[in-house]
Formats: sequence, structure tokens, C-alpha cells
Amino acid sequence: MKLTLHQVDRSFGAVQVLHGISLELRPGEVHALIGENGAGKSTTMKIMSGYLSPSAGEVRLDDAPVAFASSQAAEAQGVVLIHQEFNLAEQLTVEQNIFLGHELKHGMFLDKRAMAERAKSLLNRLNCSVPPGARVRDISNPDKQMVEIAKALSRNARVLIMDEPTAVLTEREAEVLFQQVDRLRAEGVAILFTSHKLDEVKRISDRVTIMRDGHVVAQAATAEMTEDDMATAMVGRDVSSLYPARTAPVADDTVLSVRDLTVPGHAQGITFDLKRGEILGVAGLIGSGRTETMEGLVGLRRATGMVNGRAPYPAPRAALDAGIAYLTEDRKERGLLLTKGMRENLTLQSLADFTGLLIDETAEDQALTQAISDFDIRAPHRAVAVGNLSGGNQQKLLLAKTMLAQPEIVIIDEPTRGIDIGTKQQIYEFIHALTAQGKSVIVISSEMQEVIGLADRVLVMRSGGVAGELTGTDITEDKIVRLAMGLDGIKGAA
Amino acid sequence: MKHIALATLMAATALPALAEDVKVIGVSIPAATHGWAGGMNFHAQEAVNRLEDVYPGLDFVLATASDPSKQVNDIEDMLATRNISALVVLPFESEPLTGPVAAVADSGAWVTVVDRGLAQEGIEDLYVAGDNPGFGRVSGEYMVEAMPDGGKIVALRGIPTTIDNERVEGFQAAIEGSGIEIVGMEHGNWNRDDSFTVMQDFLSKHPQLDAVWASDDDMAIGVLAAIEAAGRDDIQFVLGGAGMKEMIKRTADGDAMIPANVTYPPSMIATAIEMTAVGMTSTAPVAGTFTIGSVLVTQDNAMDFYYPDSPF
Amino acid sequence: MTLDLKVLGPILALIVLIAVGASLNENFLSAGNITNVLSRSAFIGIIAVGMTFVITAGGLDLSVGSMAAFIAGLMILVMNGLLDTLGPGLPLVLAGMVTALVVGTLAGAVNGFLITTMRIEAFIVTLGTMGIYRSLVTWLADGGTLSLDFGMRTVIRPLYYGGILGIAWPIIVFALVAVIGEVVMRRAAFGRHAAAVGSNDQVARYSSVNVNRVRLLTYVFLGILVGIATIMYVPRLGSASSSTGVLWELEAIAAVIIGGTMLKGGFGRVWSTVIGVLILSLIDNILNLTDGVSPYLNGAIQGVIIILAVILQRERKAEG
Repeated sequence: MKLTLHQVDRSFGAVQVLHGISLELRPGEVHALIGENGAGKSTTMKIMSGYLSPSAGEVRLDDAPVAFASSQAAEAQGVVLIHQEFNLAEQLTVEQNIFLGHELKHGMFLDKRAMAERAKSLLNRLNCSVPPGARVRDISNPDKQMVEIAKALSRNARVLIMDEPTAVLTEREAEVLFQQVDRLRAEGVAILFTSHKLDEVKRISDRVTIMRDGHVVAQAATAEMTEDDMATAMVGRDVSSLYPARTAPVADDTVLSVRDLTVPGHAQGITFDLKRGEILGVAGLIGSGRTETMEGLVGLRRATGMVNGRAPYPAPRAALDAGIAYLTEDRKERGLLLTKGMRENLTLQSLADFTGLLIDETAEDQALTQAISDFDIRAPHRAVAVGNLSGGNQQKLLLAKTMLAQPEIVIIDEPTRGIDIGTKQQIYEFIHALTAQGKSVIVISSEMQEVIGLADRVLVMRSGGVAGELTGTDITEDKIVRLAMGLDGIKGAA
Repeated sequence: MKHIALATLMAATALPALAEDVKVIGVSIPAATHGWAGGMNFHAQEAVNRLEDVYPGLDFVLATASDPSKQVNDIEDMLATRNISALVVLPFESEPLTGPVAAVADSGAWVTVVDRGLAQEGIEDLYVAGDNPGFGRVSGEYMVEAMPDGGKIVALRGIPTTIDNERVEGFQAAIEGSGIEIVGMEHGNWNRDDSFTVMQDFLSKHPQLDAVWASDDDMAIGVLAAIEAAGRDDIQFVLGGAGMKEMIKRTADGDAMIPANVTYPPSMIATAIEMTAVGMTSTAPVAGTFTIGSVLVTQDNAMDFYYPDSPF
Repeated sequence: MTLDLKVLGPILALIVLIAVGASLNENFLSAGNITNVLSRSAFIGIIAVGMTFVITAGGLDLSVGSMAAFIAGLMILVMNGLLDTLGPGLPLVLAGMVTALVVGTLAGAVNGFLITTMRIEAFIVTLGTMGIYRSLVTWLADGGTLSLDFGMRTVIRPLYYGGILGIAWPIIVFALVAVIGEVVMRRAAFGRHAAAVGSNDQVARYSSVNVNRVRLLTYVFLGILVGIATIMYVPRLGSASSSTGVLWELEAIAAVIIGGTMLKGGFGRVWSTVIGVLILSLIDNILNLTDGVSPYLNGAIQGVIIILAVILQRERKAEG
């Protein structure tokens, strides 16, 4: 089945967000849709899958014009959108989720046996080993992704649209997903996906459509474009130098010394030092204890061992008082209050600095003005609820909030997850600027290129321990992977 | 597991022997959620303590319930586990308790119903009743006598129930044609705070009132506080009811605002328990209906109704 | 414009009620009636201000009504017990006030401790303490009523009935509590932190806010406010029994929600809680002052208004 958009426009009120979009999803072809945040990818996908209708232009199914009344209507025709945030009932089992709203019945009653068999065969088809009786809340992110796909297939999806399917996956998990995508392609399913990771686009897609500011700016067979070409088309300028060159030298004095830090259940015996002005990368698979180690270090988790010669900090406030700030990877659930405005979010961590007996709202406003200009935060207006900002602007606000507390050491977990390439570059520049001010930065990242491009030194973690440390020219993708996967026993190659 | 089996065995062998020696009387009453019920609880407990000493052959089980369904559970438990020979019950509400009490009667046990009748006649062996229409009538008659020229009054009602309706109807019948006009009537729920609020609003609404029928001593306390706070001197007296000891004392002391009271004695539960105990241990004829009338209390006879030890 | 309507909603409802009341009865706007309504609103009102903080921080307290009865009972027992040593005078009244405040603080701290440190659901903890305090006061009163010794009634009466410049104490205290509460909610770090904790406690924790401390303090402040309300309740009738303060918790929660504070936490407004309290007491007052509506239906009318208020809030949210 072929799904086509022909000269589609879409406006919200007076604002036109899509201008004459045309693209074609063909059976047995994987189509990548890329562009910066706000380029119009989400709106395009929603029009394809019946969540929105076009203001002008046509949606065609096998060359016949269709108007989906709703997403259910689109699903009934075999067009399914899988959201970036999973649409699964966490308390129900895998099988119950697959058939939610489309339960198989035997007369009045649920036909449990048929559903179990059907679920098993769907999961087998996806080569997914998760038991159909497992509760969704207990399974891993990639498995949830597979359940979403199984759910789509159970509705006979012929056109599968995936919004950033790999955003929450590690590279290895993403590879598993791609193998399944290959299978579906071979079965003749038309697939569209979005991603900020251009290497994935290269790896999996047959055609690529690049959007900028609501227009299609390039459309080609993937083989005809390099990653640099894609990035340049997305941003509209040359981004070959994504990672700025290091200018600030690393000082000799140690600002953080961690000895034998243990976070029960997650990490044991972590030992490392951090120098003034240094960027330390922390790599490793998801589940290797990277985040938990850092949370233990700043008092968000119970931990034992020595930090700067003393017991670990009892609470985040104590760590902050000692000049150590941790910036979470989960900006929506842990970083920002999505229903509150930018001002409340910005000062939440440093409220004492703005409070005598009462909060000085004028000073808060000034701080927000400063942050908006320092971190280039782009918001429609100052009173906007933070949940309505794009991911990139949320991340910049989170960075501004952290820096407002004036830490000497900043630990940033996944600094650019789900962020477009232009904003990524800005965030890398901020990180460099911090080191130039003599501050030290620890960057945890699942993106290999990011660790390699940013860090002076890399700590690779595996199964709750430090698998090795890499410096200088030793920081290569190959060496990080070998350490992270436990492929060889090199220890401290430097 | 073994212990339970053993205990069951012992119970099975011990129970018949026990039933021959000692008769168990179950007493099921509502919990002390307001003043009158508090007094009733006190009298029930006191009667049980006293009668256990008097009659060594009797054993009492007392259960208080905070709602009708809890009371049903209590009664079912008594029948199932304590093998009661008689039940003294003051039903929370008539309808829901009728079935369970009938089941007790069917088991062959003696049933004494107190104050509130069951929804079906003929279940109980003995009915010790308060006289709610009489309570209203005596109150109304006092009002007529105290206000020969008629006048304007306001009335406070209790929690909306049959009891409350019977009292109000009795009162209205008694004052009919006397020139006494009820200019306002609201529920004070037998509660001091609620009656205080209602009375405040009555005072705002009616610039001139001659008397108040508070119908209950808890409500009379709230009414008196509201009148005092408003500084109104047009109201000549407040008639409460049920015979709370503090109010009886004030009547005895000649307080002009509280010249009288009408009894609805919480001790009727003690009467019922005692009559049941007599019926269990002797051949005296105690079956039938036994109505405890409401009596007018004035300064002259107040000390006869004063129980300083009772909480009510 | 939508923002204005959002703020004005509860005020408009109050104005409509006042207009209805004034048209139905000429005494409605008399100084006496206004004093009555405001004074009797003060108990629930003072408690509701504290409840606004608890709910804003994502909590709930069902125990406040029972707690008030328990505090009132203890206050009466302490004052009766000290009457012989202190004599009927200011020191005795002060002793009663200190008792109420100390017991209120402790009771709030117990709720807060069980909810934060022991990590038990607020609903369960306060449902439990609700039953405990209710039983304790029944037990203290031996099933009956605890009454203040007659000798000191005149000494303590002014706490409810007295005032300055013709304004009764309960009204003054209620106003003070409301103003301080509003300022703390909007302009103090504590109010901001409470809203952050209620909005998303993980974000608050990752922002170095001591989440447990903020939560605990909301319950302690509520306990203190219950104590303050009780200090003025006891002189009114001079007694406490198991029927004291029944359903106060639900009235306080209803007032908070009518005012526009979100039951799931994260956003609270003290001034509109005050309006919610006034709306609730005015409904009662108007129904008492007018004929024509069966008193059996009072509860139904209140229920309809509570539900309407919440529906209005949702409409507003959809617009905004």
C-alpha cells in the first residue's frame, strides 16, 4: 500500500506551519524524515496518520484521495503512527496491550487463548523474546517499542510511521530494532521514521526527506547523500565542525576525587579524578550504572565510599553547596516543571539567592532575561508553560537553571538527547565555554560521537564498574565499544 | 492449624455444657455519637455491670455500633459465636435491622426491642418504647401553658428520622389553635454547633421572637449561646428536651431561660436489660409493650431527674 | 481575557450569591449577619488555608475535623485541671492556648512524619488518625460532652465573641491567617517549593529541594492552624464532644477545590480558598434565611455548587 502526501499545507490559526509538502511512502521502502525541532516533522506525521487534517492538498492511499476522520479511521485503513512517548498501559500485560480496544472475543467473553497465541506469533515474527504475560512496566524500552510495533501489526498495519523510535534506545538496542525494520520492509510494509541520528538514517533508510521551516528542502535516495549533506540541508548552513575545537587548557589541580564509590544495586568501587577545566566523558551501555553512579555522587541515591576525602553527600543540596551540580537526562520528568513558567523553573534550584523574607520577583525576571540571552532560549513569550517549549529550548533552560546555582563541577547526563543538530552545536559550545571559565564538566552520553567529540578523557563503565579509561588518540569508537561490551580486558589504556 | 482444630473441638464440647449453666444476653446499641446516646451507653454499661453481679447465671455481651450495617454484623456475630439466649437491641434504623433481629427470634432466642420499633410487627417478645409523639405533645402543652396569649417561636429539629417526625407532629398537634405560631423550623441535627449556626440565622431573620423549641438539650445549649451572643432579650425561654444533667440542674436552680425540660430518658435501655434479665431467670410475665412516657420537668420536680454521675 | 476570567471565576460566584442573599432577605447585609457568617467561617477558613498548602504540595489531610475535636477536648481538660492553681484569669487562658498550639503542632508532625519518613499514603495515614482522634475525644469525654468549668466561661468568652473596633476576633485572626498564607504561597520560597513538590516531586528532588521537609512542614502548619481554630472554637460553646468538628475536613477540602486549587497538587491559591469558604457558609446562611427550599435539600444544593465549581475550572483550563 502506498501513502502519498500531495502539496499539503497546514495552518494553526494564522500561522502556516507546512508549505506544500509532497512525499511518497512506497511498500517495501524505509523513508527517513529529518529536520530540526520545529521543522514540521510531527505535523506531517500527524496528517499522514489521521490525527490532523490538511488545510490544503491531498492525502492519497494507493493514488486515491482519502480524508481520515480520525486516527482510528487511519488505523482501520492500515496506517499506524507509533508515538515517541509510548502509548502503552503500564499496568497491563504485553498481550493485553497488543489487543487493547480490539480484544478478540468468543461470544460474550474474551478469547484469551486466541489472543495469547496471536500475541506469541506476532512477537515471534518480530524476533522479540518478551513473554506475552509480562507487565509492560517491567519490560525494557526496546521491548516496549517492539510491543508497539506488534500492536500496530495486529491491526494489519501496511504503513508504519515511527516518531523517533530510537530516542530512548542505546545503539545496540537500536540495531535490534533495525533488524526488525529490515524484516518488515522485506514483507512489503511502507515505513517512515524520524531521527536526529544521521548515522541511523544512513544505516536503515532507502529514501530521505529533509524539512526546514515547514518546507521540504531536499528529497533523495539515501545513498546519494552524505551525513554532512543532510546536516547542511537541515540547518541551512555548514555544520561540519559540530564539535568546537578545544581552546582552554586542562589545569593540573584535581577538583574532584572519587574513591571506591558504591551505589548498592547499581555500581561498585567507582574511582576517578576530575581536573579543573576538564571534560570527562562517561560512556557505557544503558544499565551499566553511569547515571546511578553520578546520582549517588550528588546525594540523589544512597552511596558509600569517599568523595573529596569525605563520605558522599547526604542530599543534593549538600553537593550543590560544595559546588557540584547534576543535570538529569530526563528533563521532562526530573528536570523541569512542565506546567510552570520559565521563571519558576529557572530559579527553583537557587531560590535562596532570590529570597530575603520574600522572593524578589524583579531579580528573578532579570535572571530570566539574562538566561534567555546567555543560552539563546527561544520562547513564544515569557509566560509560556515550559512543557510547550521544544526539547532543545527545554534543555537550554535546564542548563541555565543549573548554571544559576554557580557550580564549579557540572555533571550533564545525556546533554543532547532528542535535540536537533543546530541546538546540539550550541550546547557543545556552552560546555566548552564552561571549561574556559575554569569549571569542570562530566558528560554522560549514549552517543559515541558525542563522547569522542567532546571529552578530554573517557571513563567507560560496564556492569556497575569502571571497565577502563581512555585519553587522547585512544578515544575511538572501537575502543569504547570493546570496553563497554567487555570484549577485552585492557584496563586504563592511558 | 492444629490450635484452631483443637479450639474448635473444645468449643464444640464445651458449649452445650456452658449453655445449660450460663445464659448469654446480647446487648446491641448505637455508639455514643451524641449526648443522649452517650447517656444511653452509660446506662447500658452500668446495668450490665450491676446485673452480672446480681444474676450469676447470666452473662452479658455488649456491642456498640457506629452505623446500621456494623450493628447487623454485631448481631449476626452474637448469634453465631456466642449462642445468645436473649437479645436486647436498640435499632440504629428500623428497616435494615428488622431482618437480622427476626433471624435471632427465629433461632428461639428472646428478643427485646428498645426505643425504635422494627419495621415488622410481632418479632419481639418485649418492646420497651420511648414515647416520641408524647415527647412532642408534652413539649407543646408546656408551650401553650407558658404562653397563654400565644406568640412567635422557632423550632429546631433533629436528624431527619422517624423519631424526629413523630416528635414534631406531636408538638404541632398540641399547639394547634393556641395562637402560637412557628415562624421558622430547621434541622439542628441534635448538634450544638449546628443549632448555634441555625439559631444565629433565625435571629437575623426574625427581629422579634417569644420562645424557642430546641427539642433537645444539646441543641438548647447552642441556641442559648447564640441568643446570648446576639444580646437579644425578646426571647423569654428555651425549651430543650431529653433531660441532660446540666440543663436539669439549671432548671432546678431556677434559671428563667430554662424553666422546664421534657424527659426522654436514656436509662430506658437499663430498664429493658433488667426486664429481660428478669424474664430469663424467672417466670414473671415481662412480655408485651412497655412504654416509658415523657414527663414534664419543672423546678419543682427537677432534682428527681438529676443523675450527676451520668455523662448526660 | 481568559486569564482574567480564571482569576475572577470564584469572585463572580461569590458576588452572585451575595446578590441572591440580599434580594431574598433584607437582614442579609446587616452588620450582625455579616459578623455571624464571617465568624463561623473562621474555623473552617483557618483550617482551609493550611489545607491549601497541604493539597498544593500534593497531599491531603482527612484528620483535621477529628484533630480539632481532640484538641478542643484536651484544651478543656487542661483548663479545668488548672483552674484551681491558676484561677480564672489570663494565665489560664494562655495555658489553654499553649495546649492547643502544642497539641496541634504535634498532631500535624505525626501525620507528616508517617507520610514522609514512613512513606505511607496521605489518604491512609490521615484516615487512620481521623479515627484515632475521634475515638480519643469520645474516650476523654466518656461518651458524653466535655464542658468548660462554668467559673471560667466569662474569662474565655471574649476569644470568640470579643474583638477590636467592633470586629470579632475570629474574623481578625482569619483575615491575618489568610493574608499571611497568601503572601507565603505567592512570595515566599516555601510556597514556591510546595507548588514544585506537588507539581512533580522528582523535579523538586533533582532541583535540590528537600521534598520531605517541605511536605512535613505543610502538615505541621496545618496542625498549628487547626490549633488556632480550636482556640476560638472552645469559647463559643465551652464544650467538646464526639460530634465536634464532624466533616470539617471535607468542608475544608471542598473550599480549597472550589477556590481553584488543584486536588492533584502543583498549584494553589489562598485568597480563592477564602472565597470558597465564604461561598460554602453563605449557601447555608441563605438557606436558613429563606423559606421555600426544603431543609432536606441543603446538602444537595451544596453538592451541586461544589461540582459546578469544578466543572467551571475545567472549562477554563480548556480555554487557557
